[in-house]
Amino acid sequence: MSSPDLKFGKKLVKYGAVDFNACYNCGTCTAVCALSNEEESFPREMVRFSVLGLSEDVKGSLKPWLCYYCGECSTHCPQLAQPGELMMSLRRYLISCYDWTGLSGLLYRNLSAYIAAFLFIAIGIFGLFFSGIWNQAEWMHYGHLFEIMAIASVFTVILLPNIIRMWYATVWKQTKKLHIKTYFLSLPELFIHMFTQKRTLSCNDEMSNKIWWFEHFIVVIGYMGLLFTTVVLDWFAATNILIIVLGYFLSAVVFIVSFHFIFNRMRKKTEKSSFSHPSDWFFVIWLLLMGLSACAVRLLIDLGLLSAYFWLYLLHLTILVQWALVIVPFGKWTHFLYRSFAMYFDKIVKDTANTAVRTV
Amino acid sequence: MSKKIGVYICRCGCNISDYVDVEKVRASAEKEADVVLAKTMVFACADSSQKEIINDIQNGVINSFVIASCSPKLHLPTFQAVAERAGLNKYEYVHANIREQASWAHSDDKEGATAKAVQLVRAAIAKVRFATAIEPIEIQTQQAVLVIGAGVAGMKAATSLAKMGVKVYLIEKEHFIGGRVAQWDVLCLTEETGKDLVTRFYNDVVMDKDITLFTGAELIESSGSKGNFKVKIKITPRYIKDFCEKEKMRRAIEVCPVEVIDDFNFSITKRKAIYHNFPSQYPLVAVIDMKNCTRCGKCEKECDKIDFSQKEKIIEIDVGSILVATGFDPYTPRKGEFGYEEYDNVITLPQFKRLVAINDKELKWNGRQVKTIAYIYCVGSRQLEGENKYCSRYCCSTTICAAIKAGEKFHDLSHFHFTRGIRTYGKQEMFFYEASKQGQVFLQSFEDEPPRVMRKNDRTIVCINDILTNRREIEVDADLVVLVTGMVPRSHGRISEILKLPRGRDRFFNEIHMKLRPVETVIDGVTIAGACQGPQNVVEAINSALSAAIKSYSFVSRDTLQVEPIVAEIDAGLCTWCGACAKACPFDAVTQINLEGKEIASVNMTVCKGCGMCLPVCPVNAIQLKTFSDDEVEKMIGVLAQEL
Repeated sequence: MSSPDLKFGKKLVKYGAVDFNACYNCGTCTAVCALSNEEESFPREMVRFSVLGLSEDVKGSLKPWLCYYCGECSTHCPQLAQPGELMMSLRRYLISCYDWTGLSGLLYRNLSAYIAAFLFIAIGIFGLFFSGIWNQAEWMHYGHLFEIMAIASVFTVILLPNIIRMWYATVWKQTKKLHIKTYFLSLPELFIHMFTQKRTLSCNDEMSNKIWWFEHFIVVIGYMGLLFTTVVLDWFAATNILIIVLGYFLSAVVFIVSFHFIFNRMRKKTEKSSFSHPSDWFFVIWLLLMGLSACAVRLLIDLGLLSAYFWLYLLHLTILVQWALVIVPFGKWTHFLYRSFAMYFDKIVKDTANTAVRTV
Repeated sequence: MSKKIGVYICRCGCNISDYVDVEKVRASAEKEADVVLAKTMVFACADSSQKEIINDIQNGVINSFVIASCSPKLHLPTFQAVAERAGLNKYEYVHANIREQASWAHSDDKEGATAKAVQLVRAAIAKVRFATAIEPIEIQTQQAVLVIGAGVAGMKAATSLAKMGVKVYLIEKEHFIGGRVAQWDVLCLTEETGKDLVTRFYNDVVMDKDITLFTGAELIESSGSKGNFKVKIKITPRYIKDFCEKEKMRRAIEVCPVEVIDDFNFSITKRKAIYHNFPSQYPLVAVIDMKNCTRCGKCEKECDKIDFSQKEKIIEIDVGSILVATGFDPYTPRKGEFGYEEYDNVITLPQFKRLVAINDKELKWNGRQVKTIAYIYCVGSRQLEGENKYCSRYCCSTTICAAIKAGEKFHDLSHFHFTRGIRTYGKQEMFFYEASKQGQVFLQSFEDEPPRVMRKNDRTIVCINDILTNRREIEVDADLVVLVTGMVPRSHGRISEILKLPRGRDRFFNEIHMKLRPVETVIDGVTIAGACQGPQNVVEAINSALSAAIKSYSFVSRDTLQVEPIVAEIDAGLCTWCGACAKACPFDAVTQINLEGKEIASVNMTVCKGCGMCLPVCPVNAIQLKTFSDDEVEKMIGVLAQEL
């Protein structure tokens, strides 16, 4: 027995959903979706849950994560109900559900909160600089230290508990069983999907899809590499020519690809790029700014001009802190984790169910 | 003059000749007595073939003929026209159906098909030997039409007929015009309200000097036939004289102590014994409902125009055609059907529409504010068990429209539609889109698993196994449950008996053919329009009214009307009047007359359809049907029964 809750749909609108109420349940979206199958059929079911406001069903479902937004559903929808964008919005909604702090939801629903957080960070850093507590070398040192600290704490305090919450809602509540072996054997799913996003390639055979997948693939690798180069290899302090060149190369990959992503979102030529929530803009723009500013800072170092243009380092640091404290824990960055964990959890749920069938 | 019979056997391309050996048929026909010519033709209906037949007749080769081809339903008029063009009488031609009755029916047995075709043609030849020229019956027509029902269909038909130059008598049983549409505040597909629309139509009616409108008028008797009906109409007075001052009228209504249920608002409100449905409804003079009036006389003190001395009148008029537009009744649910009359917040769609119309700021039912509304569809329509198997067609659209308009008038309403599949056909689909987009929720079930209405803790809950959500049980706590009731035939009083109008399985008046003759009835001269012939929306009702107006006009447009002369004939010498034929006649065409001191039966040739029902019941065999006399039919049977 379930009761409809019409407030849920209104809430989803803040997460970016458009016109999904126009759905008349023809199921065309599900029929054209290359990833949907009899066992796991979407997006119509998710649209229906959203229309009726059955939020518990949405929270317990991994289906929003199984969609890679090729946009076929939205293209073919006779009611222009934008099922693809609804799936996207549900992912945003789920991110806010998994987040124990509740800040994700706040930031997704309010653009002003986003801007306030960014402003707060910028003012903090520049304020600190003008108070003159540290000299330039100390700033560089603490900046690097911050990166290490931020990664460790954001992961342990925010992301890890959130993944456990995701597991609780989507695996434990659904199966109520714990087969350790299944968890272990399913582990490859997690890493395969985390680093390859290969599921995207099953969406359709179009060249544009393949190009998109490739760009996304190299930006992930580039981003991870840049993170490694700056944090572990300490790029800004490095003297090894190989490390320096690698850093230039990776930061260039990041800003060139993210520039193309921004360009796509501005052109709105594909279904995937036709609707952009503020969180999408922040994500791609900050990725671009990060790559660009890191590159510029290293260039200043190599030219020996950094102390003259130190404000650029501060700008880079501001972008970095905004990224690490807002976008990574509470913003779109998390889809990197949830998507791959969703594939992992999905395999666990399926295998647990299969084991149960076998034991019966 | 001796018979010179021509026989033309059609191949129908190869439709006939593939299974029937047409040469054999031709050879056998040729041998028959009086047959002077027998031909086969590729297509008898083709222009060249028609010309060939005409030539044969005009050259004096033949003076009567048989066509053996497809069903007479298809081409009888074609070959009758051929006969007339050649200067023959159209009854000097007889048709044999060797396609539907031989080649198509026996495509597995070519020999049998051929043998049957031979016999059918011989039987036709036997009949054509009797053929004589018969002239059609002529009727002097009355250049006037009676339109029954002054709803949108009736009023539109009346103005349309008047524009064609015909005198129109428009009668309305109620004391106010507008019918059901006057009760609708919201109409789909137009911003105009029901009130606006009927007012506009009424203005057209009263501005037209060729239309005479009677309110409170009922048809009580009708005789005669197409072109010339004599009808009697009973007119109930208003008991109030014309030109009554508005203020005096208002006070007279105010002081009336009698309160009765107001049918205009589908019993959700009360009205006085002296009333009008709404102040601007036409005719503007109020009416006294004598069934409920106690004659206390209070109103007489307030208004000098009140006149209890007015009497019922019966008038007689002559018309050439009758156009019936008596409309529909909304279905009334059984007690307990989806909680109707069991739970106080379960109402019907018409009641809901009136409720939305009469509430202003807040939507309230029984003093409680309404926020959540559950609509249960197909109540009294598409019944699995029960009489109403049909879809009432208008309810999906009108409900969604009403919900949208209610949402515009009163804010923060939540709408839940419990449907069996939405049928907002045509342009009305846009309302479904609009409503969905607004977030109105549509749930759906199959007919064998309808929604359930129940009480839980003083709340009314509607529950459904929603097939759009994996048959999940969804329940809605509703402030108001609206039963979307369909249309049923109006309880017309005696109109269908008086006019002998047949009803279909759905109990609405039946047209002759849904597509080909959609507004004509089997009673010549009587047409039907609007929702009296089946569920229709306003647009459809008006379309059918315009169509029926044209058809009715065709009965009165000329001074005389011609009727098929294939009618029953009474042999006055043999008839001894027993009345059996009159009883058997489904069209009331037989009456008793006195002919030179002898009581005999007489057939009204304009009413008789030539069905032949009276023939076998006559104990003295005094009735013959023209062109189907005993001699003819016996000869045909004789031929058919002959072994070849």
